Amino acid sequence: MPPREHLLKIGVAGIRGVVGEFLTPSLACSFAQAFGTYVGGGRVVVGRDTRASGEMLMHAVACGLLAAGCEVVDTGILPTPTIQMYVAATRAQGGIAVTASHNPPEYNALKLFNAQGLFFNTYERAELLDLYHQSDFRQAPNEEMRRVITDYESAPKLHFGKVLAHVDAERIRQRKFRVALDAVNGAGAVTTPGFLLDTLNCDLEAISVDPTKPFPREAEPRPEVLGEIAELVRRCHRDIGFAQDPDGDRLAVIDETGFVLDNDDVLALAVDAALRRLPGDVVVNLTTSSVIDDVASAHGRRVYRTPVGEANVVETMQAVNAVIGGEGSNGGIIFPAVHLCRDSYTGMAFLLDRMAETGEKISTLAGRLPKYFRRYGKVAFQHGRLGPLMQSLEARFPAALKDRSDGLKLLLPEGWIHVRASNTEPLLRVAAEAKSEQQVEKLYGEVLTLFG
Amino acid sequence: MAGEAVKSLRISQVGLRGVVGGGLTAAHVLDFASAFGTFLEPGKAVIIGRDPRASGIMIREGVVAGLLACGRNVIDLGIAPTPVIQHTIRRMDAAGGISIGASHNAAEWNALKFFGRNAIYLSTAEANELLDIYHLKKFSFVEWNEIGKLRKEANALDPYLDELAEVFDFNTLRGFRVVVDCCSGTSALILRRMNERFGFSFILINEKMQGVAFAHEPATNKDMVGLQLAPLMQPLGADAGFLFDADSDRVAFATEDGTPVSEEMVLPLLADYQLPRGEGKLIITNVSTTALVDEIASRHGGEVVRVAVGRQAAIDALSIYRPEQIALAGEGTGAIMMPQFRFVYDGIVSMLAVLSMMRERGRKLSEIIGAYPKYSILKGQVPLVTHRMPALLAALRETYADGCASVVDGLRVDWPDRWFHVRVSQTEPVVRIISERRGDAPRELHDAVIEQVRSFA
Repeated sequence: MPPREHLLKIGVAGIRGVVGEFLTPSLACSFAQAFGTYVGGGRVVVGRDTRASGEMLMHAVACGLLAAGCEVVDTGILPTPTIQMYVAATRAQGGIAVTASHNPPEYNALKLFNAQGLFFNTYERAELLDLYHQSDFRQAPNEEMRRVITDYESAPKLHFGKVLAHVDAERIRQRKFRVALDAVNGAGAVTTPGFLLDTLNCDLEAISVDPTKPFPREAEPRPEVLGEIAELVRRCHRDIGFAQDPDGDRLAVIDETGFVLDNDDVLALAVDAALRRLPGDVVVNLTTSSVIDDVASAHGRRVYRTPVGEANVVETMQAVNAVIGGEGSNGGIIFPAVHLCRDSYTGMAFLLDRMAETGEKISTLAGRLPKYFRRYGKVAFQHGRLGPLMQSLEARFPAALKDRSDGLKLLLPEGWIHVRASNTEPLLRVAAEAKSEQQVEKLYGEVLTLFG
Repeated sequence: MAGEAVKSLRISQVGLRGVVGGGLTAAHVLDFASAFGTFLEPGKAVIIGRDPRASGIMIREGVVAGLLACGRNVIDLGIAPTPVIQHTIRRMDAAGGISIGASHNAAEWNALKFFGRNAIYLSTAEANELLDIYHLKKFSFVEWNEIGKLRKEANALDPYLDELAEVFDFNTLRGFRVVVDCCSGTSALILRRMNERFGFSFILINEKMQGVAFAHEPATNKDMVGLQLAPLMQPLGADAGFLFDADSDRVAFATEDGTPVSEEMVLPLLADYQLPRGEGKLIITNVSTTALVDEIASRHGGEVVRVAVGRQAAIDALSIYRPEQIALAGEGTGAIMMPQFRFVYDGIVSMLAVLSMMRERGRKLSEIIGAYPKYSILKGQVPLVTHRMPALLAALRETYADGCASVVDGLRVDWPDRWFHVRVSQTEPVVRIISERRGDAPRELHDAVIEQVRSFA
């Protein structure tokens, strides 16, 4: 039997699926009405990325929110972090971003935020899901109906202002960096050129900045799909290249030679920049590289590890009052002094700021990081097999330190192995890291052999 | 009250209608819009608009989402009178349209009215198909890259007025001093524009559109005309006064001397205007409408076709005849369709027809009305006991066996000078009783029928 495709997923993370037969306007409307009921009416911000289904779902969401007696603020096409900051700044009761982030264009999803523009915690998310399933929605009568207000202008200004407070913007502006951008025709197409050109005074070469066009490449900015921007960096002699995902929370970075930096290294550079400025510890997920531990310990800070998923990282960051965090392999940088969310704009500003401060090339800054070798892979998942697999893995490495908070992570003297079930696809994700190429191949190979 | 709870939502061939939040929810709207998007012939756009009710925005959002998801391009006219929505469907050669608004119902209600190609209300067969799709909940949602687009259309009003200006002689009509009670509804949009663009001098009251509290009940009847409009006629020196419902498809009026006229008079008056004008000789109305219309029809060699009460029966009757056979279709509620406007219920058109008649005949409105023979109508209602209705109707038929009976809708019994009609309301849990006589009111007959109805309650 072929593995089931997750064409629709309704769970504690919200609602996500292939638009049309699976993710229908009725489902989006009901989920929004449950959300409106849960936040108790008041003002709710709605924004979206550029997906073709975004406008349709935005109207379905607005319908559900209005039906629950909420006032809807439509911010149009915006990056998810921008929406989150706008929610926090505008006395809204919550926010909904219509975006499937890095998923393919046929997908869409609702990301739900509380009054602070943050993900709901685990317990709140479970409560909201129960409310949805009970269909026990607030049904506002005519006299309690509110309107849809539009505000397309103020959110990006707010967002950029917050980012600039944490870098030396004048120093960046004076350098007039030669930058390349690939906004994947996503929400960044609307906001990022202005950020780089006007706010940071860069000399910009941009591709895929038409929000009316479909995604020209795979939505997730993995190195394999960033050939065009890498070529642009080389051809136009750029100092650095940035690639976003469709909702502008994830960032990939290309150095001046056209090499796509490892996302863990990008996070490490951002962590280093943050720790130079502010006190506090670091939170990353279990699959993030040990390079973060090295950078943190150089500053005398501690690293907390969490299960994979932005919401998990954010929850721990809040609990330990972390100064920075993120998910290495996903290209997510979370800097709570700007906002407790994944934000590609903070990442761009931090890297340009470090380049301006040090006068060094981005490849030089990245090259100075401790070198690790990583392997990522996935194995088709079969129900009932996970337990025996984990046990055989433990038996194979009896001396390893074990972390069972998300699948199984084995910490060995030469590196680590992390195996977990994907939250979004019927897969097991396998990651291994070590100090040398041979060591990582050996670790990774042993896992695959065990999984046969 | 249990009865009212039952009727706070109605899903029928006429569409979707209910008290927002109480019976009518966002989920109903989404499903109905998706069903309509599935039902329509593919390819062309869908026109939507709404009346000023506050809940109209929520419903608009749901309608847009459902239609876009079915791959329909949507053109939103915003707050717009129903006749303007229908005109735009034809003008843009759209696949159909939806008017969001509960017309003459109170503000807490809302409804979806569906129009097919050519802006005509759905026939019973079409409406049944739409209902089947709705109940089956198997909608033709398209792939992500075929989802429709939304566009707003700011000026649908002027092309509509252009068409009115072709049929009516605005030059001779704009001199009338006319007072209009807009009842916080969409008629103000049209009338203000007619003042601006064509130099009419409509004096508007209750012209500010309201979403929650209408100036008064938005019904077009004699009582509502008497409330604010009729008392203004003499002080303002007006030639006529008109009252519109929230979405401008119904009208009632007052004469220049300040007399509120029964809503029953709109149809006979327009029949008198319309029958001599064209070859169409048929008047389609329902079994509850005044017999004055028969008398006027026979003066002009016309014929009255009586169908069941409600829009659906009238729409189906229209489809039986060729358009040129028909002079007029309408109800005693002030909702009238004319062939010049391709059979759209349009209060503005009805008003312009009345004004044209005054101009052509050079008579005051009170003189025109006063020249008709007097018919007196009595209306009553009794709480409904559904399961005894068949026995009640059989008993009434037995009691009044000397009259001519019609069972098109409940029971109507006719004598040469009088008639009564007993039927179950489609909107409230009551039995409606209407009696009429040429001359004085048939009080005895009416009371006797009501008493017999009550004995079954």
